[in-house]
Amino acid sequence: MAAQGGEAAAGSYAKPAVGTCMEQPIAYPYQPSASDHHLWSSSTGASWNYSMDNSNQNMVYYDPQRDVTVLGSAENVTSSAPHVVQSATGATNATDSYAPYSNTVQPGYSAAQYPNYYYNYPQTANESSVQQGVDQSSGAAYQPLSSFQNSGSYVGPTNNTYYNAGDHQTAPGYATSNHYYQNNAWTGGSSGDNRTQSYQSYTPADTNTAQSSSSLPSVPANSFHYHQQYNQWSYYYDQSAPSSGVPAPAVAVSGASDIKAANIGSGYVCPSTQPPPPGTTPWKSDAGAPTAPPRHAPGTPVFQNQHANQAAGPPGYQNQYVNTVPGTPVQNQYANQAVGVPGYQNQYANQAPTYQSATTYYSQLPLSNQADQQKASHWQGPSSNVSSINHVSGSSQPTLQGSTTSDGYRLNKIQIPTNPRIAPSLPIAMPKVEKRNSEADLSQKPAYVSVAMQKNDVKTAQDGHEAVTQGSIPVSLRTYVGRNVSRCKDDAQRSAVQSILKEIITKATADGILHTKNWDIEPLVPLPENVESTNMTSSAKDLSPFSFSTSRRSPGRRVKSRWEPVAEEKVANKVEVTSKESAKSNTFSSFDTTKRAGNSWDLGKFLQSRQTPLSQYNQRPSKQQRIGGNASLTENGNASNDSDKEQDLTKYYANAITLANSPEEKKRREHRSKRFERSQGAASSKSRSSAPDKDKKSNIYTRRSMSALLNRSNGDGLSFAVEDLDWDALTVKGTCQEIEKRYLRLTSAPDPATVRPEDVLQKALHMVEASQKNYLYKCDQLKSIRQDLTVQRIQNELTVKVYETHARLALQAGDLPEFNQCQSQLKRLYAEGIKGCHFEFSAYSLLCVMLHSNNKRDLLSSMASLSKDAKQDGTIKHALAVHSAVSSGNYVLFFKLYKTAPGLNSCLMDLYVERMRFEAIKCISKSYRLTLPVSYVAQVLGFMGIDEACEDKRADGLEECEEWLKAHGAVITVDNNNGELQIDTKVTSTSLYMPEPDNAVSHGDASLAVDDFWARTS
Amino acid sequence: MAPYLSMGEAHRRIADYLSRVADSISSSDGAALASLLAVSSAPPSTPLSDALSAFPDFPRLAADRYPHLSDLLPTLLRAIHSHSLIRFADAYSSFEKAANAFLQEFRNWETPWAMEAMHTVALEIRLLAEKADRELATSGKNPDKLQAAGSFLMKVFGALAVKGPKRIGALYVTCQLFKIYFRLGTVHLCRSVIRSIETARNFDFEDFPVKDKVTYMYYTGRLEVFNENFLVADQKLTYALMHCNPQYEANLRRILKFLVPVKLSIGVLPRITLLERYNLLEYADVVTSLKRGDLRLLRQALERHEDQFLKSGVYLVLEKLELQVYQRLVKKIHIIQRQKEPAKAHQIKLEVVVKALKWLEIDMDVDEVECIMACLIYKNLIKGYFAHKSKVLVLSKQDPFPKLNGKPV
Repeated sequence: MAAQGGEAAAGSYAKPAVGTCMEQPIAYPYQPSASDHHLWSSSTGASWNYSMDNSNQNMVYYDPQRDVTVLGSAENVTSSAPHVVQSATGATNATDSYAPYSNTVQPGYSAAQYPNYYYNYPQTANESSVQQGVDQSSGAAYQPLSSFQNSGSYVGPTNNTYYNAGDHQTAPGYATSNHYYQNNAWTGGSSGDNRTQSYQSYTPADTNTAQSSSSLPSVPANSFHYHQQYNQWSYYYDQSAPSSGVPAPAVAVSGASDIKAANIGSGYVCPSTQPPPPGTTPWKSDAGAPTAPPRHAPGTPVFQNQHANQAAGPPGYQNQYVNTVPGTPVQNQYANQAVGVPGYQNQYANQAPTYQSATTYYSQLPLSNQADQQKASHWQGPSSNVSSINHVSGSSQPTLQGSTTSDGYRLNKIQIPTNPRIAPSLPIAMPKVEKRNSEADLSQKPAYVSVAMQKNDVKTAQDGHEAVTQGSIPVSLRTYVGRNVSRCKDDAQRSAVQSILKEIITKATADGILHTKNWDIEPLVPLPENVESTNMTSSAKDLSPFSFSTSRRSPGRRVKSRWEPVAEEKVANKVEVTSKESAKSNTFSSFDTTKRAGNSWDLGKFLQSRQTPLSQYNQRPSKQQRIGGNASLTENGNASNDSDKEQDLTKYYANAITLANSPEEKKRREHRSKRFERSQGAASSKSRSSAPDKDKKSNIYTRRSMSALLNRSNGDGLSFAVEDLDWDALTVKGTCQEIEKRYLRLTSAPDPATVRPEDVLQKALHMVEASQKNYLYKCDQLKSIRQDLTVQRIQNELTVKVYETHARLALQAGDLPEFNQCQSQLKRLYAEGIKGCHFEFSAYSLLCVMLHSNNKRDLLSSMASLSKDAKQDGTIKHALAVHSAVSSGNYVLFFKLYKTAPGLNSCLMDLYVERMRFEAIKCISKSYRLTLPVSYVAQVLGFMGIDEACEDKRADGLEECEEWLKAHGAVITVDNNNGELQIDTKVTSTSLYMPEPDNAVSHGDASLAVDDFWARTS
Repeated sequence: MAPYLSMGEAHRRIADYLSRVADSISSSDGAALASLLAVSSAPPSTPLSDALSAFPDFPRLAADRYPHLSDLLPTLLRAIHSHSLIRFADAYSSFEKAANAFLQEFRNWETPWAMEAMHTVALEIRLLAEKADRELATSGKNPDKLQAAGSFLMKVFGALAVKGPKRIGALYVTCQLFKIYFRLGTVHLCRSVIRSIETARNFDFEDFPVKDKVTYMYYTGRLEVFNENFLVADQKLTYALMHCNPQYEANLRRILKFLVPVKLSIGVLPRITLLERYNLLEYADVVTSLKRGDLRLLRQALERHEDQFLKSGVYLVLEKLELQVYQRLVKKIHIIQRQKEPAKAHQIKLEVVVKALKWLEIDMDVDEVECIMACLIYKNLIKGYFAHKSKVLVLSKQDPFPKLNGKPV
């Protein structure tokens, strides 16, 4: 196994799978919980905002519990819950929407409900289990790598395909879909897939048809496809294919249970609601908890109604909804999924209205979840969770490039003190998971989660406090912990470091500086033993996609590489930290799927209590929520009450969705998503072996957009004025080691993982200089270098060199706009005293002004700014000579200077040649009489070299000159004596004209014409 | 000056100043008010500034005593105080507040009695801003006060550019704005002001005070020099020159500094005595070169005064005189030839011109000289044609060297 893992990405995937297989048989009861954990992680990860977290968390918790306790019915309930969340989340963030999906996933996975299903897996075919593991692992691996956007976008299309397959085809199709979904679920954002999976299994044929119909419409909505990723997925499909046989039976069983899910669910719900009273009270205060009990009773139906209402709101989605209404809850979920996709798009759009809706839903839903939770905790016990988490972590860790694993790790450390539970579960996981010290930690975390839940039920107040403290752990702290832990080589060290960290954190909490402290600059805890402190750096280097496959050769190395992402994340966090919003930590939660699982619950509460400080979007809805929640409180479990509530909800929903789905908005979103798609397409053009890298890249994009979104949304609520931002802290320190990088205009905060540090940029510049490719390629590369320099605020000789290189290339290609950009930057850089070819570019600037801008004042000021030394410089002298030639109309001198131009002066003069020639021919035709030999004109107007003796060239120049003269209306005659061509000046003087340029383009700048551009640069 | 000042005396002095301001406002005495508002021209130590130093609570005193002027007086006193302490940036900030308050009051006054005071404010704010910017620049800070003064003056202009008697004062503010824009190098901002002055119906240019008209014409003439609209520039600068008070020699010199090159470019040469009288001798060589057709002298003169000409913005104008110098040179050759060989006087061999240029130590080959001749013909400085085969410049028999006569080249 170790060897496998050591090999390549694929190998690593396989390995975790095996590990999981081993575990599975032993931990059977726990497995369902494992799935829950997945859900949690995904959901938590998905939730970007705290508010979102609340809903998500609640959902998540409830779902698992329901699954366990209620079995089939639980699914429905969960589905309904996810529905709400989905719609809400969908509106707000794509990830959020996904989170709910993950919840649903749980039921599917939860073996407890459908023992058959799970048992089948391991028993019937080890392969399948293995594959499952593989998938999970792969999914996990992908999680960090793939961007959430991608997953979101994928969900749509994939669902369709899957559904179709499921409906018309047989079990295998499902199996594949399951796998696929699992992957998505693991990825976090795409958890919706999991749910679908569960649905498929639960709802046999009936729902499927409905689903398929519903799912189909969703495809267009999802319009953006990431082909590359698709490929990847297909890869996964292949793997899953064998296992498909196994799940099929399970599906049948589950399906049966599902059919009556609604009824059952309600019945089940009731018991769950009972326990809440103690637990619910605190929740009420936080966010309209009272609604919970009533919710449970109605359970699914309520949610369905909501969905129907929703359908009415957004026209685009109506179809889907319609389908859903008649169908089973499962269908609803599907509809939600479809909705989810747009919601995902929303992420980018960042629409306020959607946010509102989301919040409203949250408040209502969480209550029911609580009830479930309590129940669940009683019934199933936290231990199950633990095991499941272990499973997850096991599978995910190897493949995960770090973010997930590391996150989990960190969490574990933080929480370790509180996790007594872990112990039992650990033994199981530990032996099987080879080489994964961290796994133990991970397992701890889940355990902790379960514990926390229990606490919540019993002593809500206390929990609330705990939750706040825990949930609010800033990202920077987490990364800090992760950094520290990642340096540890073995368990002993790790535990030592953990204890130290624990102390630090407790102290920080006590001092109240937990949030204010800049953990990013906090020195790392000294390791008990001599540990190479360079681990971090090396791992950072490993980050580069290219090193990916190779870096894992040795097991020892692999351990390191597992933590690689930490460094990456750290930087990312840093950027975020500046906003000083603990809520923002959620942004990264997607990556920290596992980690979050522990916190999510607490976070949820925390969020609720903190809703006010959150963004405006959240704020408004939350108020409304509260009102709704109170109303529901009085109703207490009555169906009628629910309907009222539904109305409220639908109102909000409809508003939000219509806003979010307005055609322009959709278009915009689509457009933007396409942009991402393109960039990803470029990235994924590599071989499949680098697939994980691709994912990582895409992830980066998502992350960036997420962080931007958070920044934006939080900015309002927190009254962070732009000028208050600490721009220094926002400065990115790049970690990307890739030399080649395409330019993509930033639409959000830069992601350090995609930004190249200075030494890499140096290499990139050399690469561009040495490249034989055309200007477009070089321009693109240089722009990306410039971007990286800018975001890192690097202003030194390298910066100057990059701009100079680009300016020269632009000149050579006649790309004046780009040249002007570089020129203005260079002016600034030179003014700051950075050395470079200052004189050369002053000359270019002079020429540019005198030949192209025709602004006398600019020319005067740039001439006045020349120093005495500058005037002695050859290039500048030449430029000044050109100026005097132009101002006196001395075309002979101009073309002489043109031929002897130093540097790239000739390139700038090139652009003036046509005008100068025309002016000259006008002058000539007016002042010469009788005739003038064409050869003379050709000579003085620069059609042939000044001392070109070569006859051929002379002839060429003559011909060219003749053509040019004819094109401009000159009348050419043949001398009777010697047959020489000559211009009839008198006739010509009246017939001259400036021809319409052949390559004229509508925007007036021929140099921007694409065809011409290609022709000249390629 | 006054090392110690009793609180009572300080209080009395401040109260006196305040009452004078208030009285001048209540009695609509614009001149008195204007003199009281002149902050920047005050010496470092005046009785009032000493009193302000000795009585630090002056803002409250002012605000308490004249609550209806509570926006104006405390800030005005603060500006005077800061100015006396040589803290110009602070003084500017305070004065800008006071000026805003004053503008507010000014808007409410029906009659333009306070126009003089308003003009003083406009002038003071510019002068203070210039001082403040110098102070800020030396301390390494961003000198943005003059720009702020510019935007304040635009507000003032908006308050004046209305129908009614107040519009007479608009040109003064416009001129202050010109000064700011020229100093800042943002002359393009002048355009909007000029447009509203020249196109607005409610302005009759002749209604404005002469001094403002002269200033306005001077600046707009300069702008036309930049645009190389020599005819318009000549017109405007000549107007300024003719209407300028002949006693203000410095102003006359300023006008001539631009008018001379403009006149040269349209073929009008000044007397050397004029240049001497107004200390414009940097143009002397240029004028001589034009008279002699001495290209070398022109180039030398341009080189010698390059920085000066570049700074004032006439360099490009003078550079263009080259063709006229060539014309003069050819004319001289023609005159000599006519004396020697009247029959062939209208045919000037190219090699003669080349030789003449060589003699002037100007290194040009035959093609270039031929090109110059073609240009001279093309630009109507020479009447005639060039025969390429024989390399001969054939002059017209009638008026071969037409005078520019007020037309630019």
